[in-house]
Amino acid sequence: MKNELIMNRLALAQDYTRLLDDEGYQLIDMNMVEPFRIDDKRHHSSTIIFEKNEQLFSIRSDWTRSLLNYNDNYYLSHRFFGYFGPVVRNYKTFYQAGVELYGPTETDVLGSIDMHLSFIRETYGREFSSIVVNDDKLLDLYIEKYGLPEDIRKLVHEKNLSELQKRLGRTHPLYKLMTAKVSDQITLVNREFGETDIMKFLNHLDEYLRKYGMKFILDLSFRSPQSYYNGFYFQVFLDHDYPLLSGGEYNSSAFGIAVNLSNGGLL
Amino acid sequence: MITVALTKGRLFKDFIEYMEENGLNDYIGALTGETRSLYTVVDDVKFIFAKGPDVPTYVESGVADLGIVGSDIIAEDEFNILNVSQLPFGDCHFSVAALPGQEAFGTIATKYTNVAFEHFKNRKMDVSLVHLNGSVELAPLLGLSDAIVDIVQTGGTLRDNGLIEYEKIMDIHARLIANKRTFYTKEDGIYAFLKEIGVV
Repeated sequence: MKNELIMNRLALAQDYTRLLDDEGYQLIDMNMVEPFRIDDKRHHSSTIIFEKNEQLFSIRSDWTRSLLNYNDNYYLSHRFFGYFGPVVRNYKTFYQAGVELYGPTETDVLGSIDMHLSFIRETYGREFSSIVVNDDKLLDLYIEKYGLPEDIRKLVHEKNLSELQKRLGRTHPLYKLMTAKVSDQITLVNREFGETDIMKFLNHLDEYLRKYGMKFILDLSFRSPQSYYNGFYFQVFLDHDYPLLSGGEYNSSAFGIAVNLSNGGLL
Repeated sequence: MITVALTKGRLFKDFIEYMEENGLNDYIGALTGETRSLYTVVDDVKFIFAKGPDVPTYVESGVADLGIVGSDIIAEDEFNILNVSQLPFGDCHFSVAALPGQEAFGTIATKYTNVAFEHFKNRKMDVSLVHLNGSVELAPLLGLSDAIVDIVQTGGTLRDNGLIEYEKIMDIHARLIANKRTFYTKEDGIYAFLKEIGVV
């Protein structure tokens, strides 16, 4: 690894954790060796597990789950946390930095996304190309409104257009939505569900982030690789093929954002 | 510029025929030229030529934005990709085949162990699987297995080796697959190509 990359990562971590401190986030550092929990392994099959003194342990593979477990055990008084440090997945180490917000309001969520974007733009002078968003509950609305069977969900998630056409027909609103260009989907979803809380939030986010001049893309196929995200989910891209920021809602009342310190195009 | 991963086998010939039928002549000229190069560029589309099972790997990693691959490959292994569309070529199917008069299928030879495992599990049949990399028709002839699970197109190879089809497992078609990230970051180029080849 080049010296420059190592130094840049550390400098970013320092700037970022200082920002979080200034903004009132509680910084957390924890042992990488954790008590083994089967739920963690289900969410992250790449988690390494080992035995020591007849007890099972795992190596941290995801800060969000580590913090959630820590919070469950110790009932932290703070609600907003920040972190920086390595995680291990399979045999590789990755660096993660990010925040977790427990029980945030909509203003808290918007403020945290804005804080990350303005930090990157001001510190690095970089512009964003696009933000991709979805909320898993939008597909629930289509399924309920049109009385669709549950297995349609899998076809939407994998964007299986040919099978959706066979099952729904070319004129079905969900088929039309899925074959539209992804940046046009928000207009179509607004026509049907613009008055729902989910779309009001996404439209509010769209307006709120206009100042960054990036493309706002809603796609019902867009999902997190982490199965615990169960509501709003987003990724922000620089002019690069891997996301720089990823985040979303989990556990119904928590929200997190992670900064990609490996291949997000910033370093 | 978008990158499309193709495989230079049976599917490739079918894809060329499909493009001829649809008047995509610019692509045909570049793709069928006499060259050993493993890629070619036509306007804003770069085509790379890979082994069939490697096409989803290139797409999953983002080296290729789109890929054309047989559904047999994505039925056998899991890939984190968008499984966008069936294409109207590359039709064949998975079958269980054996010598005539075979009464029990205790051992199955196949290159597609995951497809075979799922099939026999769903049938509640307890079988042993033997993985082979090719020429699986040999296995029942030489006594390595009672039957095979393999791709059947015309049935000619089975007939030539005295085997018959006992059961069709699933249809196979060419599919267009896409990377989960560049579908957004290269939206314009990807939709233009999807339109050109008649997917949307």
